[in-house]
Amino acid sequence: MQLSWSDEDEAFRRDLRAFLDEHCPPEARRGKDFMGEGVDGVPDWARAWQATLFDHGWMIPAYPPELGGRHATPTQTLLYLEELADQGIVRSVHFGGYAIVGPSLLEFGDEAQRALAPAAIRGDTVWCVGMSEPDAGSDLAALATRAVDDGDSFVVTGQKVWTSYAPFADMCFCYVRTDPEAPKHKGISVLLIDMASPGIEVRPLRHITGAVEFAEVFFDDVVVPKANLVGERNNGWRITMGSLAHERGGLWVEGVFGAHRALDGLIALARRRGLDADPVVRRRLGEAYEQVSSLRSLGYKGFAGFAQGSSAPEHSFMKLATSELRKQLFELGMDLCGPAGAVVDPARAEEDGRWWKGFFVALAGTIGGGTSEIQRNVVATRVLGLPRA
Amino acid sequence: MDFTLTDEQELLRDTARALATKECPPALVRAHADDPSVADALWRAHLRDWVALGSGSLVDLALFAEELGRVLAPGVFVPTAALFAPLVDEVGAPWADVASAVGAGSRSGTVALAGGDGVWDAGRLVDGPLRTWVLEADRVDTVAIVAADGPDSARIALVDASALEPRLVETLDTTRRAFEVAVPDDAFSGGHPVAEVSRTAVQRVIERATVVVAAELVGVARWLLDTSVAYAGERVQFDRPIGAFQGLQFKLVDMALDVERATAAVYAAAMASDAEVPERHRLVHVAKAAAGRAARHAARDGLQVHGGIGYTWEHDLHLYLRRAYAGDYLLGSATWHHDRLAGLLLG
Ligand SMILES: Cc1cc2nc3c(=O)[nH]c(=O)nc-3n(C[C@H](O)[C@H](O)[C@H](O)COP(=O)(O)OP(=O)(O)OC[C@H]3O[C@@H](n4cnc5c(N)ncnc54)[C@H](O)[C@@H]3O)c2cc1C
Repeated sequence: MQLSWSDEDEAFRRDLRAFLDEHCPPEARRGKDFMGEGVDGVPDWARAWQATLFDHGWMIPAYPPELGGRHATPTQTLLYLEELADQGIVRSVHFGGYAIVGPSLLEFGDEAQRALAPAAIRGDTVWCVGMSEPDAGSDLAALATRAVDDGDSFVVTGQKVWTSYAPFADMCFCYVRTDPEAPKHKGISVLLIDMASPGIEVRPLRHITGAVEFAEVFFDDVVVPKANLVGERNNGWRITMGSLAHERGGLWVEGVFGAHRALDGLIALARRRGLDADPVVRRRLGEAYEQVSSLRSLGYKGFAGFAQGSSAPEHSFMKLATSELRKQLFELGMDLCGPAGAVVDPARAEEDGRWWKGFFVALAGTIGGGTSEIQRNVVATRVLGLPRA
Repeated sequence: MDFTLTDEQELLRDTARALATKECPPALVRAHADDPSVADALWRAHLRDWVALGSGSLVDLALFAEELGRVLAPGVFVPTAALFAPLVDEVGAPWADVASAVGAGSRSGTVALAGGDGVWDAGRLVDGPLRTWVLEADRVDTVAIVAADGPDSARIALVDASALEPRLVETLDTTRRAFEVAVPDDAFSGGHPVAEVSRTAVQRVIERATVVVAAELVGVARWLLDTSVAYAGERVQFDRPIGAFQGLQFKLVDMALDVERATAAVYAAAMASDAEVPERHRLVHVAKAAAGRAARHAARDGLQVHGGIGYTWEHDLHLYLRRAYAGDYLLGSATWHHDRLAGLLLG
């Protein structure tokens, strides 16, 4: 066990800080707390920022330069994610492309499809990921959107829902059923669908924040070239598992350091509102600190094994724990705002509504990407080895 | 922060686990409740060979203590290695002979520090005649009595345990014994070895012991978790193992999460203490709070998972439940540490 990073890793962090100081636009520093404000298309600053990160090898540091990286080691990737989360910086306003689609194309795609990855990661192409359907949420394998083989192409009919970024996406990484006869996990495939194709209708849905970010997507006899099938036909379930794994390795860092930032904010808020001598407030903050700190240590403990190539069961806990903790912290923030806890009036809300907005964002965190209950099911059966229900 | 165990640490843990499992079976732990002298044999034949861990790396000592907690090992090892040895070490050269006797396993000891309020805090040392929460005071060779001195200093006297008349204060925990000790009038004059150390040094010892007790609690919690998960896989009701019921699965998952967090928090505190980084004070509070909560949680819900069998005297679960709760209160409960954390965060 050791506490500090090597000189080489510290140098990596210094380079990163210098880069961020020089290039990061103020909008990117509004951070995740304000993601609930939604994005109405990709703003110019966000396009430019994502491209700058890519071009300097700071988008996905573990990748080679042509994919927006710099061959960073796993430890350096950890430092990178830590620094970004610590400063509250977002890399992109749409994470499907760089976090899910790019890595999945690289892992499962043919040569032509792999060639789409750089633009997905740089944000030049905006991707949405079509998994959930009205009757297939947690039970993703129940998805029913059909893709019928028409010789040269697939013809897709069906509906996706809660599809983030669909209102302005160029492409959809879409899970479809190619064999309706097979057992449900065995008849699924992935198609790359151009959102400009005839037969696609996108109906934006508002989040509870009022913002538009996700949508219902209707497919009515949409023709998709066969070349757009990713991997083998009927083998899409493997890709679901793969694409979620890409996301999970690093998400905990964002979760934990986001929580650390929130905690710093809570302490400042308590002081500003003169609550720092209140014994109840003090105890709640002390408890929150315990929660954040122990979770950070657990992340590092899990990561140490991960960096050496072993799969770490701790990671399965991290999504559950960080998303639940986030809700708790931002709710505490609303409490510390006192009577103004529920005020959204910009002239009266504390810190531009940071706490209620962060809380609303946090409420999505225990649903999207697999609900907390689904995470618990996974831990119960795969980590603890309990019998399946 | 790298939590990977070195080969030596892995070996230490495996050796400790094998030793603890073999030499401290439930029968010994149960016998100890009626006759505490059975723990003396465990100390003499085995644990005293490991007491030098008390003067070494806290990570190593914590790894060892976790395994002791897992079997609820009773006796003088923890007070000697986690409190007495480091306190004697703080005195340095004048007590080098005591230190070497302790390190060689030929002298056991405990520390009498908390006053009537039961709080272990170098900033609140007392000068009066009463010391509370003195662990295993009737079984050790020597009791180190700590008293307030100047604002930055403390006095320590080494008194033979046989010269004291400690009063046992029974707690829920039958595996660890705590005493009240009346400080003899001549403790600091009558020819006993006396030394002076800084309060910072005393606080370092308290923090060390706090991490050790937290590590033991992690072992306690892990036993409760493992035992409950195993039982949930075996016990059949409504034609299926009860572990297939989601109501129990979720309880066990949440227990497991607390245990994992506490484990990581204890290692972090131990590493930070060894490295003497400023963050260590916070991390020690985090470790004890997390371990106390995890152990209580695992005990409370572990018993629920076991149903009626868990409520019987015959089942070992209640021994762990008792240690879990008493262990949380020892050296500061989770809420006490939360309040202390608030002090560090908010002033
Ligand atoms: C902000 C946001 C963005 C999203 N973006 C996307 C996206 O880009 N692409 C996409 O495909 N999807 C997206 N989703 C959808 C998300 O993946 C689903 O909402 C999620 O998987 C849950 O499915 P559901 O909404 O149908 O809820 P349901 O599955 O109907 O769940 C309802 C409740 O039942 C519980 N439940 C279900 N099954 C079990 C079980 N086996 N055991 C115990 N409890 C159970 C759930 O935990 C939940 O509490 C997004 C969701 C949100 C909130």
